[in-house]
Amino acid sequence: MLKRFLPLLLCFFLTACAAPEPAQQQLVAMDTVMTFTAYGGDAEAAVEAAAAQMRALENALSRTRPDSEVSRLNDQGSGTTGAALGELLQAAVHYCGTTEGAFDFTVSPVASAWGFTTDSFQVPRPEELEALLPLVDGSAVTVEKTGDAYDAVLGPGQSIDLGGIAKGYAADLVADYFAASEIEHGKAEMGGNILVWGTRPGGGPWRVGVMDPARPNENGALAGVLELENAYAITSGGYQRFFEQDGKTYHHIIDPSTGYPADSGLTSVTVVAQAQGRSEPGKPGNGTMCDAYSTAFFIMGEEKALDFWRNHQKNRPYEDAFDLILVTENGRIVVTEGLAGRFTPDAESGYVCETVS
Amino acid sequence: MKLTTKELTACALLTAMALGLSYLENFFPLALAVPIPGVKLGLANIVTVFALYALGTGEAFLILFARCLLGSMFAGNMNALIFSLLGGVTAMAVMAALSRLRGLSVYGVSAGGAAAHNCGQIAAAMLTLGSTAPLYYLPLLLGVSLLTGGLTGLICACLFRGLASANLTKG
Amino acid sequence: MSVRRSPKLRPAPWDLAVIFAVLAFALACGALVWGGGTEGLTAVVSVDGVEIDRFALNGSAGERVYSANGYALTAAVSPDGVQITASDCPTQDCVRMGTIFRSGQSIVCLPARFILRLEGERETNSTGVDAVIG
Repeated sequence: MLKRFLPLLLCFFLTACAAPEPAQQQLVAMDTVMTFTAYGGDAEAAVEAAAAQMRALENALSRTRPDSEVSRLNDQGSGTTGAALGELLQAAVHYCGTTEGAFDFTVSPVASAWGFTTDSFQVPRPEELEALLPLVDGSAVTVEKTGDAYDAVLGPGQSIDLGGIAKGYAADLVADYFAASEIEHGKAEMGGNILVWGTRPGGGPWRVGVMDPARPNENGALAGVLELENAYAITSGGYQRFFEQDGKTYHHIIDPSTGYPADSGLTSVTVVAQAQGRSEPGKPGNGTMCDAYSTAFFIMGEEKALDFWRNHQKNRPYEDAFDLILVTENGRIVVTEGLAGRFTPDAESGYVCETVS
Repeated sequence: MKLTTKELTACALLTAMALGLSYLENFFPLALAVPIPGVKLGLANIVTVFALYALGTGEAFLILFARCLLGSMFAGNMNALIFSLLGGVTAMAVMAALSRLRGLSVYGVSAGGAAAHNCGQIAAAMLTLGSTAPLYYLPLLLGVSLLTGGLTGLICACLFRGLASANLTKG
Repeated sequence: MSVRRSPKLRPAPWDLAVIFAVLAFALACGALVWGGGTEGLTAVVSVDGVEIDRFALNGSAGERVYSANGYALTAAVSPDGVQITASDCPTQDCVRMGTIFRSGQSIVCLPARFILRLEGERETNSTGVDAVIG
């Protein structure tokens, strides 16, 4: 009996696998909702490891928890830190240097004066800011690796906040897990930032919408759509966190040189770079780079940012290439050449889009 | 159901033809003209209608099951089986009933079958997705099915006419 | 081979009956489906990543109160969508979010670690995106 049906039964093995179900983890960490989705390979392990790593990172980096590594470092002015904070500090110092202080992780005393750390917003008096500005100097921080740990020393009176670079670093860690688990497709959404791995499961590049900074409260209002594969895309914009007082708007991206919210003519900056899993130890990952640069470019403004981009490979050949999407206050979207053809502006948004080389 | 060797061979040949017609459909991208996912000409129904009249309801069902099963296997996608079967069986049942009605021509039967086929597929889609979203497509699909059913009916009519002139039909 | 029976080969008057029946059915489906707007949308509520509630948008009109990590949130559900009308969280981002009505949209309350997300059609439409940054 079985002999007659065996050939038929065996035919079932000829069928290919159906589309895989994704493994997913969602959590709230570092003040934002994070969603990790992975397909293929060891997807479950990848997303679970990523979620666990985020919790660990939050514990180390939190400025509000008194027992976090960052808080202890701020209190004591120096100390030994673990690998995550150590690497992150080294990256922060590095990018502070390359952006000539536009990205500065020691700006936190000023940010606190504005109330951004505690959500009790206020406009500080000019004298307050004048007194605090000298403390903003990333170059005064030293970080050295000794064995498995790092020794960090802050300048007198300084305190650090790695919020402007932490999510990018987190994305690098997730990329490591994605690579190690050999997943086929994946995306890690962390607040307004994303890491995409491989292509969309249904085929074709991942479609990532870029929020329209002019309409942040309108659900689904986009400036445009990016098509990405194996990439990081990190956005910084004043509209993400701000308060209003006496009819003026003050946002959270403080210009380290003035102590005031950056007023550079840009409403949002998106930096895009390739993702392939961590490159070399000692070299910051591209996620970290994108995060640091997106903050820096927002502060620098269009001209300086494009200048930086044009000379990037020449001045810093040891860093990977990146591309930019700048949304300006006067209704323009500027896209650097590497993204031409991969960014489609949204018709409803009314922006004029130009590509630059 | 006992089949003579001749009937069995006929069924096998018709199954193969149905599979071939299913593959042929891919060359007519109806989806470009009608923006609904899964819209197609339904050429394999020609075989179903033909078998219904030429061989009988039982044989027609047999061919239907065989072509759905093999079609899904060849496509490497067993998930498509439920869509295929639900659509095909619904069409089959409706056409078997309609074919009994003396007032209808092959066009009416085909159109009814095409409409039923789409209903079956939408039902399968709703079951798989667990939502009523696929229902949005049904009204337009039903309209299209009248046309594809008409086409199938036309081809069948030509087929039977051809057989008649070759003196192969009785009555 | 010889055929058992042969169908009528010319279009017959009763064919029109079939056509009308199909069209009538199509119109009925159309009315049913496009009468609503949020058909097929399901709201999924989770706290700390754990699903605590799930309901269909249609047919669940009214208020729902959730308690999450010490905060109370009130959701107002209507056929037009769902929104958080009240919350005792400090940032009020969830209330300011407004009404969500499309699959994939979500309302998040960070202090409460509360996420209300709409699920529905699995296909993204032609302008759909897989994620939004910014």
